[in-house]
Amino acid sequence: MSFIEMKNIEKSFDGLPVLKNVSLSMTKGEVVAIIGPSGSGKSTFLRCLGQLEMIDRGTIVVDGTSLVQTTGDGPAVYSDKKTQQQLLLRMGMVFQQFNLFPHMTVWDNILIAPQMVKGMKTADIAPIAEQLLKKVGLWEKRDVYPAKLSGGQKQRVAIARALAMNPSIMLFDEPTSALDPELTGEVLRTIQQLAEEHMTMIIVTHEMAFARQVADRIIFMADGIIQEEGEPEAIFTNPKSPRTKAFLDSML
Amino acid sequence: MDYLLKITPVIANGLGVTISLFAVVLLLSLPGGILAALLRLSPIGIVRKIMAFYVYVMRGTPLMLQILFIYYGLPFIPYVGVQLDDTTAAVISFVLNYAAYLCEIFRGGIQSIPKGQYEGAKVLGFTYVQTMRKIILPQVIKRVLPPLANETINLLKDTSLVYILAMNDVLRITRGIVQRDFDTSAFIVAGVFYLIMTFVLTNIFNYLEKRYAVYDE
Repeated sequence: MSFIEMKNIEKSFDGLPVLKNVSLSMTKGEVVAIIGPSGSGKSTFLRCLGQLEMIDRGTIVVDGTSLVQTTGDGPAVYSDKKTQQQLLLRMGMVFQQFNLFPHMTVWDNILIAPQMVKGMKTADIAPIAEQLLKKVGLWEKRDVYPAKLSGGQKQRVAIARALAMNPSIMLFDEPTSALDPELTGEVLRTIQQLAEEHMTMIIVTHEMAFARQVADRIIFMADGIIQEEGEPEAIFTNPKSPRTKAFLDSML
Repeated sequence: MDYLLKITPVIANGLGVTISLFAVVLLLSLPGGILAALLRLSPIGIVRKIMAFYVYVMRGTPLMLQILFIYYGLPFIPYVGVQLDDTTAAVISFVLNYAAYLCEIFRGGIQSIPKGQYEGAKVLGFTYVQTMRKIILPQVIKRVLPPLANETINLLKDTSLVYILAMNDVLRITRGIVQRDFDTSAFIVAGVFYLIMTFVLTNIFNYLEKRYAVYDE
């Protein structure tokens, strides 16, 4: 039984199909990197799992709990709100644009969701938040507002904020695309560390070297379908699909 | 000078009406304006349309007319018509009018917050109400402080319209003195009173802006 099961996902924006029958099955602790050109649907696919987009057709099951089902020719039917919320809380999501809350300090950014959403007491969440901030190397920045941080620091806070909710799956939507090149390393190292701790992760990225290094499996998406998937070495050294080959050539 | 000293406490008697009307209307129209803005942005089309119509009517007719209608016109409406006392009529018309203006200010503020803030809150599990209360509205307040200061000061001055309901605010008392004594210096005293009050308001808003300046966006 797979940990994440996304089957036959279809999604259109205003009649324009962005996901055409995309399926993904993952085991616990697996790290999948999704690569592909802009507009390929890879971010949309990730956002469907993070419930930021509603799918038109298909099935999503996470750890045995169904988020959405489709039977026959019917439309996708979502589970009740409580199940949706329960599954949402198992995901941590990190965005290209960080989406930190600018009116809160780093510390409050991390504490607010455990307090508000999980009803945790400050005394219970504070040690976890401290440990997470130390882990991403930003403990000394806890009283600073996000605007005072570099892009790389912001993204590391965003990762700590997501981890504070104790998710079992981390979703990364182009986590380094908004960063200056010299700042990507610090973020990638943090993600790498999570991979070593066997966090289940899906990473949408343009960082080919990083994807190759950190992922157990690479998925190459283009035109709303998975063109090719496999182990990093196979994909990068011996791509089967001409689309994959052309894309990888263009990235180098 | 003796004359000014004599009329000043008389005019000051009007401060009670001016300040209490101002305070009550502000306290009611601020949450009213936020609520109206949220309804104006509702996903339900009919709610949006009703709110747009409400804002259109309130901005499209003079506040004076609205006061007159609530006080003199309302009793003639079948079934719902009631004769309100002057203070209640004044408060209701001012709140309805100011909530409409504040609605547009808050709507602009809410729409200026990037979509990513909602998404960031959503994936952390925040409900709509939590997202609004903890994430969106606190940021909106910072952004709308300058236009909010404008409206607040406008409100203070607009309270003088209640003379039409024969309520003895600062300006109506002043006019009475001028007409009785054939001496316009009472107007200067009234002007100074308004300037002092707006000075206080300006400083309150400056303080708030400074407090919100602790973070950048």
